[in-house]
Amino acid sequence: MTNDSDNSQTINLTINGVAVAASAAMTLVEAAWHGGVPRVTAVSCLESVCGSCRVLLRRGKEVTVNLACQTFVEEGIEAVFLPPQVPPLHHYEIGDFTDGWNIQARFHEIFPEASHCRNCHGCVRSCPKGIDVEGAIALAAAGHFRDAGEAFLECVMCELCDSACPELIAPAHVGLFCRRITAHFHLRPPNLIYRLEEQRKEKAGLAAGESHYTISPFVKGGSR
Amino acid sequence: MSMINAMPLAQARALYRPDADIGPPPELADPLALLNAFHPDYVSSSVAKLAVGANAGDNCQRELAELLQAEAIIDEADLAGAPVTDTDVLIIGGGGAGCAAALAAAERGARVLLVTKLRLGDSNTVMAEGGIQVAIEPDDSIQRHIEDTLRGGHDIGNPALVAAMAEDGPDVIRWLIHEGMQFEQEPSGDLCTRRAGGMSAARIVHCRDYTGLEMMRVLREAVIQHRSIEVWEQSPAVELLSNEIGQKCVGAVFKSLADGRFRMVRTHSVILATGGLGRLHLNGFPTSNHLGATGDGLVLAYRMGARLRDLDSFQYHPTGLVYPPHLSGKLVTEGVRAAGAQMLNAAGQRFIDELLPRDIVSAAILRECQEGRGIRVDDGRVGVWLDTPRLERSQPGLLERQFPKLLARARVSGIDPRLDPLLIHPTLHYQNGGVVIDVNGATTVPGLYAVGEVAGGIHGRNRIMGNALLDIISFGRRAGVAATSQRDRGPKKVTLEHVNRARRELTLAGIPLTHEAPQILPDYAAKGIWNR
Repeated sequence: MTNDSDNSQTINLTINGVAVAASAAMTLVEAAWHGGVPRVTAVSCLESVCGSCRVLLRRGKEVTVNLACQTFVEEGIEAVFLPPQVPPLHHYEIGDFTDGWNIQARFHEIFPEASHCRNCHGCVRSCPKGIDVEGAIALAAAGHFRDAGEAFLECVMCELCDSACPELIAPAHVGLFCRRITAHFHLRPPNLIYRLEEQRKEKAGLAAGESHYTISPFVKGGSR
Repeated sequence: MSMINAMPLAQARALYRPDADIGPPPELADPLALLNAFHPDYVSSSVAKLAVGANAGDNCQRELAELLQAEAIIDEADLAGAPVTDTDVLIIGGGGAGCAAALAAAERGARVLLVTKLRLGDSNTVMAEGGIQVAIEPDDSIQRHIEDTLRGGHDIGNPALVAAMAEDGPDVIRWLIHEGMQFEQEPSGDLCTRRAGGMSAARIVHCRDYTGLEMMRVLREAVIQHRSIEVWEQSPAVELLSNEIGQKCVGAVFKSLADGRFRMVRTHSVILATGGLGRLHLNGFPTSNHLGATGDGLVLAYRMGARLRDLDSFQYHPTGLVYPPHLSGKLVTEGVRAAGAQMLNAAGQRFIDELLPRDIVSAAILRECQEGRGIRVDDGRVGVWLDTPRLERSQPGLLERQFPKLLARARVSGIDPRLDPLLIHPTLHYQNGGVVIDVNGATTVPGLYAVGEVAGGIHGRNRIMGNALLDIISFGRRAGVAATSQRDRGPKKVTLEHVNRARRELTLAGIPLTHEAPQILPDYAAKGIWNR
């Protein structure tokens, strides 16, 4: 499982233009800290779910993107931490939607570019989670919001696909729109609704501010 | 940790059999004795007494006490020429609690400014895997949720806060669904529930093992899209602002990571939603927390005069990864144990009931490691097995179906938990205590609210699974509403009077003003962040 002799091997690379001598098991984030690369503050969860540590990678002529916390150091690689994606140009508030029957029309008003996909695969190639972004956008454009949203289950909102899209579709935000309206319009769990209704009836029988629940007698140290 | 006796990893791996015959774990005769001997909260050398401030005389973890009794980063001279922004409600922190507070305040028509140290959504929320507790099953009740939470917290939680949170539960889920959050459903449409440590009924609702990610990306998007919420990223709070007599919180000062400049914000309501402090690595432990979790909110609130509580109580989650090294301290969700995974020592024996409260399970793992029954990796760190292959054998396909995040993360490192048991060790996970609040999230300082992990009193001395995600939305929304009820026209004057007061107290107590706080980032990640 582990082999520390690998870890003692020195790997030379550059991060944000700074030469760094790292050891083999380091991620690019660890290597940046180890090498004292200044101003690396686009780092947070360190387990590739927050999407902050967007990094551009150059290996010879090949250029790719990834998350720095899940990318290991390689000899000669040039890594550049990317600035955050600019806020989306597409605007909606979920409370604005009152009628599920016109949601396809609303989608195309909000995301008019989604039907302009030219199948360049930039979004697919840039996704650090291996999501079939392009296929999901086609599903969304055809109104299959549930399936499109499901494809984005592992999306970490790094917005690298947004950066990669020449049509400015903002695929990450399309994906999230699809997930959100699926829950907003279709998730109506009977067990939850039953308990909410029970609580509503109980509250109706109580004076304002009164609690239905007994507070346990064994309290020792609750301050206040 | 490196000096203790343990079996080398390769030897333990060779001995391990997913089909070995293993019996039940031994009875735990005396849980308190186990905690006293092995849990860091109970080891006296890790605790100090605070000398100044609202909690003078109280016990506090030593590393935190140093920060609470440190000098401020700024003084009046730093504020000369700093631009001032006015807002109705200022929220400090961009995780789940901060976003819930921002949305609740904005829904009531307030102008909201949310300022966060790193990026919006950078938080512990996004990593939460297990789920949210909400009492919705027919054999469950709000009352039982309250009782389980208080009991899990060793009966010192504030019952009024616990009752408020548990009662909010069903409406919190309704609100999250309204905002567009998905949850796992049964074919009947019911929300799936599962039971975890310390729970008397199945009560955890979830979205695969991505519950926190699903919640955070939905709330983040809702905040970005909201017309009356403005967001400043890369802007750590370095100090709060007080009125002329240092008795009311009227704003905060931020130092931008982008340009190094100070900015002041003036308001009548400040909501602290800054999260916990795992990145202080108390007692040398690894942590599951995100990089920004450095306890800044506790430091700012304490200097402002707010009362804190349970500062000697932290949660060490039993199952932090030991291997691979770059994921050291990162969590394997308790959901895996809830689904039936067992823990084994180097000899392949179970040593504790895996679904006892987290503090007891962690103490038992620390006992195995300290008494020589652990498994050692080459760099000297020690752990025990979490037996995922046996779970996979008993319920084929379960790991892939319910824990895709675990498999995806392991895959990047060339590990398959369906074949290899995971090496785990307790990891600093959660701040049980924090700023004293009432049911509206109001602290003991007028104008200052605290919500989420930075607040205390809900989880007593031990939080049970699924209550953190509920806590942040319940109290985030409560504080967001309460903060908009302030009717005054806002402060005339903003000062650092509270900083001057704190400095006088430190000097009188003979504490040298050599350290500055808040910490903002851990030292290993802070090199050159202000270089221009």
